[in-house]
Amino acid sequence: MTQGRSRGNVPTMITNSLEAAVAERRHRPADGPAIEVRGLRKAYGSTQALDGVDLTVRRGELLAVLGPNGAGKTTLVEILEGHRSASDGEVTVLGFDPADRERAFRERIGIVTQEEGLDPLLTVRESVELYSAAYPDPRDAGEVLALVGLADRPDVRTAALSGGQRRRLELALAIAGNPELIFLDEPTTGFDPAARRHSWELIAGLRELGTTILLTTHYLDEAQHLADRVVVVAGGRVIAEGTPESLGAGDAPEALISFRDPGTALPLPQDAEVERRDGRIAFRTSAPTRDLAPLVAWAAERDAELDGLTVTRPSLEDVYLELTKESA
Amino acid sequence: MTLPSSSDLALLRRWIAARVKLLLRNPRSSFFTFAFPLLFLVLFNGLNGDTRVAAIGPAGGKVAFAQFYTPSIGIFGLTMACYTSVIVGISTARDMGLLKRVRGTPLPMGIYIGSWLTGAVLSGLAAVLLMFVVAVPVFGVDVYASTLPAAIVTLVLGAASLAALGLAVATLARTADQALPIAQFTFLPLSFISGVFYPLDGAPQWLVTVANIFPLKHIVDAFDACFVPGTPNGGWSWGDLAVIAIWGIAGLRVASRRFRWEPGAGDPGALRAAIARA
Repeated sequence: MTQGRSRGNVPTMITNSLEAAVAERRHRPADGPAIEVRGLRKAYGSTQALDGVDLTVRRGELLAVLGPNGAGKTTLVEILEGHRSASDGEVTVLGFDPADRERAFRERIGIVTQEEGLDPLLTVRESVELYSAAYPDPRDAGEVLALVGLADRPDVRTAALSGGQRRRLELALAIAGNPELIFLDEPTTGFDPAARRHSWELIAGLRELGTTILLTTHYLDEAQHLADRVVVVAGGRVIAEGTPESLGAGDAPEALISFRDPGTALPLPQDAEVERRDGRIAFRTSAPTRDLAPLVAWAAERDAELDGLTVTRPSLEDVYLELTKESA
Repeated sequence: MTLPSSSDLALLRRWIAARVKLLLRNPRSSFFTFAFPLLFLVLFNGLNGDTRVAAIGPAGGKVAFAQFYTPSIGIFGLTMACYTSVIVGISTARDMGLLKRVRGTPLPMGIYIGSWLTGAVLSGLAAVLLMFVVAVPVFGVDVYASTLPAAIVTLVLGAASLAALGLAVATLARTADQALPIAQFTFLPLSFISGVFYPLDGAPQWLVTVANIFPLKHIVDAFDACFVPGTPNGGWSWGDLAVIAIWGIAGLRVASRRFRWEPGAGDPGALRAAIARA
């Protein structure tokens, strides 16, 4: 790890004393970003799992880390959780260095790992109560079970739960400690559509409560549906970043305008590459309103119709496939 | 390392209670901890009712078979509960992702592992007690007030040492699949040469020398001596107790240096760091 992690607004007058250490703890910024990552690298032997990741997650934000399998998503999340150490770079989570794995840090986070971790002989309620006992301000177990939709199964042993119910219990355990920040590593993988919808509602609900959420997924619709912002990771790097909408539109937000070719001269934009194919005219533009205006005026003057007019933006999926293809 | 706070002690108590409850819910562990040693006790004591064997310890002479065998097979039960079940339990918990779960919560790993070890010690003591509850009235085994303190201390120290060694072995095993054979291969051969199943009076000296290296024979000898009439010094076998303690400390050291929280290769030293931080 490199030196000089930001630890908050420590008054520079107090130096090298116990007082400073105390002040540092007290001044962990509550308004700074929840997660700040700069130049993060992680190597497993000769494999570079993360190759210079920069990432910022604001408080209260739901960030989706999207990427194909093996992109480095889980490595990234496990470094942020404190499970693994970074090879290089600066990582600050809630004002802590997660690699120190301080208890005060672990009191503030909740984790749903990709693989399971449930005691088969404990009941649902026992699991929630036992695992939340170490948090200073845990949520009521009944409330937690109601939130995840397990209120009707408190006395069932976890071994007897269905796959979807087990996953919901995992989520219950992650939120039971009333954390400020929750890591969800592919929380809905293997869910049927109804269970996914339910989890989405729950996750959106947590976000409404002000919880910061970092979600990894390889489902585009999940990211599109839930996230305030999306980061696309491939080959250990962040290859794109933005809101689901802006990302869908790419770096230079381009819309595709297309209509049936009326076969006459049209006021088409000068700088656009116009394609005429299959009796249709199509061009891409970063200013669809500006470029459509002359066409609409032209049609209105002649009382004509631009048949089959569509204005489309590339979906997140188009962009994602394009991006991950390039990096592969 | 700071002193544990009262809330941490409450947390430890809570986890120990949960551990005991889980142990009783697990039919496999209840069987191996309670039923299996009891079966041996009844079977062998019944078969050898009139036999007299050489007494263990400084008192010398001969004792009834049950007077030798009951404490000996008691140590078998103790080892099953404290050593084998800790190895299997902790490596299984690791395979199931439970250690990783705990590691991501504020629960100090020391408390979690401490609850395992304490639960194992308690169940081991309960198993031995159960055997005596059966053997005293049924096979006429004598318990002496003068050596009872030594017997209890030997048993508790032995249980703690075995649990610590179980933790060390669980740490060195990469998966639960590996752990059970390791537990059996280390315990069973040693139990035969340590006087758990029959007295060692006829055994060749080199075998006794080998057995003396390991803690099991010392636990058996120190505990058995407390049930021989006329054992001097209140039954305290200080030399044996020292060997048992040294093995236990060595086990804890190995475990804390090599502790891994996930199957296969993990971050070594995590428990040490966790304990230091907690």
